[in-house]
Amino acid sequence: MAGARIHIEDTRFSYGRHEALRGVTLDIAPGEHVCVLGGNGSGKSTLLQLMNALLLPDAGTVRVDGADTATADGALLARRRAAMVFQHPEDQMVTSIVADDVAFGPENLGVEPQEIARRVGAALAAVSMTDAAHRDPADLSGGQKQRIAIAGALAMEPRALLLDEPCAMLDAAGRREIQRIIARLNAQGITIVHVTHFMDDALAADRVVVMDHGQVALEGSPAEVFGHHRLIEGLGLELPFCMRLASALRARGIDAPFATEDRELVRWASSQGAVIAAAPATEPPAGTAAARADAGVSFENVSFSYAARGGSHGNAAVEGLDLAVAAGTLTALVGRTGSGKSTTAELACALKVPTKGSVRVAGIDTTDRRRRRALRRQVGYVSQLPERQLFAATVLEDVMFGPLNLGATQQEASGRAREALTMVGLDPVDELLNRSPFALSGGQQRSVALAGILAMRQPILVLDEPMAGLDPAGRAHMRRILAKLKRAGTTLLLITHSMDDAAELADRIAVLDEGRLVAEGTPREVFEASAPRTPGLPAPLAFARALTAEGSPAPLAGLPLTLDALADAIAAALKGGGA
Amino acid sequence: MAFRVSIGQYCSADSAIHRLDPRVKLVVAALFMVSCFFVRDAVTLALAAAAALAAAAASRVPAAGVLSQVKPVLPFLVITSIFNLFFVRTGEVALALGPIAIHMGGIAAAALYTLRFALLLIGGGLLMLTTTPTALCDAFEVVFKPLERLGVPVTQVALILSIGLRFVPTLAKEADNVIAAQTARGADFEGKGALAYARACVPLIVPLFASALRHAENLGRAMDARCYTGGTGRTHYRAMRFIPARDLPFCLIFAGYAAALAACLILL
Repeated sequence: MAGARIHIEDTRFSYGRHEALRGVTLDIAPGEHVCVLGGNGSGKSTLLQLMNALLLPDAGTVRVDGADTATADGALLARRRAAMVFQHPEDQMVTSIVADDVAFGPENLGVEPQEIARRVGAALAAVSMTDAAHRDPADLSGGQKQRIAIAGALAMEPRALLLDEPCAMLDAAGRREIQRIIARLNAQGITIVHVTHFMDDALAADRVVVMDHGQVALEGSPAEVFGHHRLIEGLGLELPFCMRLASALRARGIDAPFATEDRELVRWASSQGAVIAAAPATEPPAGTAAARADAGVSFENVSFSYAARGGSHGNAAVEGLDLAVAAGTLTALVGRTGSGKSTTAELACALKVPTKGSVRVAGIDTTDRRRRRALRRQVGYVSQLPERQLFAATVLEDVMFGPLNLGATQQEASGRAREALTMVGLDPVDELLNRSPFALSGGQQRSVALAGILAMRQPILVLDEPMAGLDPAGRAHMRRILAKLKRAGTTLLLITHSMDDAAELADRIAVLDEGRLVAEGTPREVFEASAPRTPGLPAPLAFARALTAEGSPAPLAGLPLTLDALADAIAAALKGGGA
Repeated sequence: MAFRVSIGQYCSADSAIHRLDPRVKLVVAALFMVSCFFVRDAVTLALAAAAALAAAAASRVPAAGVLSQVKPVLPFLVITSIFNLFFVRTGEVALALGPIAIHMGGIAAAALYTLRFALLLIGGGLLMLTTTPTALCDAFEVVFKPLERLGVPVTQVALILSIGLRFVPTLAKEADNVIAAQTARGADFEGKGALAYARACVPLIVPLFASALRHAENLGRAMDARCYTGGTGRTHYRAMRFIPARDLPFCLIFAGYAAALAACLILL
């Protein structure tokens, strides 16, 4: 199958007064795999929608296989040739049976029923979802739903696939599966244009286009583009892991190459004679945390089932959970989609009460309704996509909502709101305070929503995937806020999909699988188990294992878990070897 | 506090009722719902109940699913039955407490009106539970096609209905999330008085409204991208065919029910 050619010539596009694209020219060859990177608001999504005639350029032309999208026929051809997959799979589903949903595109194209049946079968097979043909998409995981959305696009037999951050809401396993599907489709000749916030997606591409303020800032092969590592970081992006490592090594006086694959850098380091010695454990003494265990959150043999409450809405139950979050520590809660993490978070905040066992927050039993108000003062909850709870007319009112509910005076609440906004990196000037929260950018909305919780000054915070959907700059910003909260002594329970974040930030990691706690301990204990129950390993640890495996069987213990520790270890080995 | 809506949710199963031609199901369900208004005594009530229960059993939908169709209007049913109980003053006095008297006629009316309305809801609910939104949409379009000549945009109405149904669970889940998030921010939904309650609901309504709009916008864009342009030129993956061996027995059984009901109404 031949891929589509997409040609964009000097296009401009504005949303009202906001110029989203300011003269973009791009030629995508048939069968090419292009990744488009850029921070929030850089115009990359707008660019993609132009290729599908969902938006028409204010100036310039967009052609898909020669057809101008500005004409009615051209628009229709563009949509047939270049099919689109969006960020939120649930908003792309039109019906309640997988196969029927996949059939929606071909039905619209007037394809004969027999041919539709063939296409539905082929499309589902292409995303390895044949068995789900008769299921309800609502019962599938996010990653599976996204695969159905891709199948829906494939059933139109397009020559190009336009993907708008399809993995932003997925866990690592879901993301890997989508990456595999993209690679397979591209190998069959389909043109791929993939807008993403994940740098390792970009490494798989033939060409990387970096957008900034509505213009193409950088363009070239992944190696060329990421070679401009200063510029990349300046644009609010981050380098892929192996390049960040190379950069860290250079900062330590080691002339490491900017490889585009981990394997390459492993081979280089190995050829240089880097042998990572298993370091003696440098864990903080366990006594301090344990001594204050009573003041945090404790789960005792907790079970919660949705069955008793009629319908689950896709949330998972938990069973027999024993877990203690010591005061002043950060515990990362990890596990695959559907393992019960969000349910556990809601149990910790008394938003759900256990069907069996007991949950105590700062010593208060969550079933004790009389002490509910006291409990709310103790524990704050940052839900998934917290910006979706914004409601007030102004930013200030929204942030003040929590403190006022807890009984603060107007003046106190206003003071706390300003302080919380500063904490999340926003300048609490009147211009911001009086704005509608809905007029802010996505990243700023997340920060305001977080400030709304921080303003309540609860000593315990439960955060459900606070990094989900953010661009690299936003993720880095969130990590800094978490570190700040930790230093201030806040007890944190953090749900995350990122093992790197868990290794870097957490004092302890709890791993859930199918509603049960399957591992719990320090990051070292959890990741160094002979068969770790975590969904994946932190990239630095995986790298260190690969490096030691080059020479001899890799030791399981004592290897660096974080990028800085890894860079230190390699630098020490190389310098030691040279001396 | 949880927000649960289950009206109109498709319940996946492989049953004789699920497999029926959706047009047949739509028409029969509509006729059955009309027939419920003719239920006026114990005999006709038993007849309608038997028909509804038989269909429910054949559909293999769990009993909880069927009952959940009635649950949302339960308060309304309770209120009307209380009215009937106290204000229908026919028949013997069954219970007297000072000025308040409950007559036998009141008890009968309360039971009859409540039950026949519940049966009506079950009839409509079974249609929703056993028919996917797209099939329902397609059937609706065909059945109401004649109205198009009167200027009614049947295709669009059908699509709006079907998508509305499809998003019920999504919005219900989001309502759950917003309630959880705002509760954690100390919002109090046990307000005293209607005004306090209404004010307490603002932090729920605004985010839900925003999210409904966001879904609508995203879905509209996704449907555009999938080349949806309206009714013309569209084909159907699942062709709606009247298969006599499958659909005729169902029609005949329903005709039998209708005839029995008519006979009861005329003869009794």
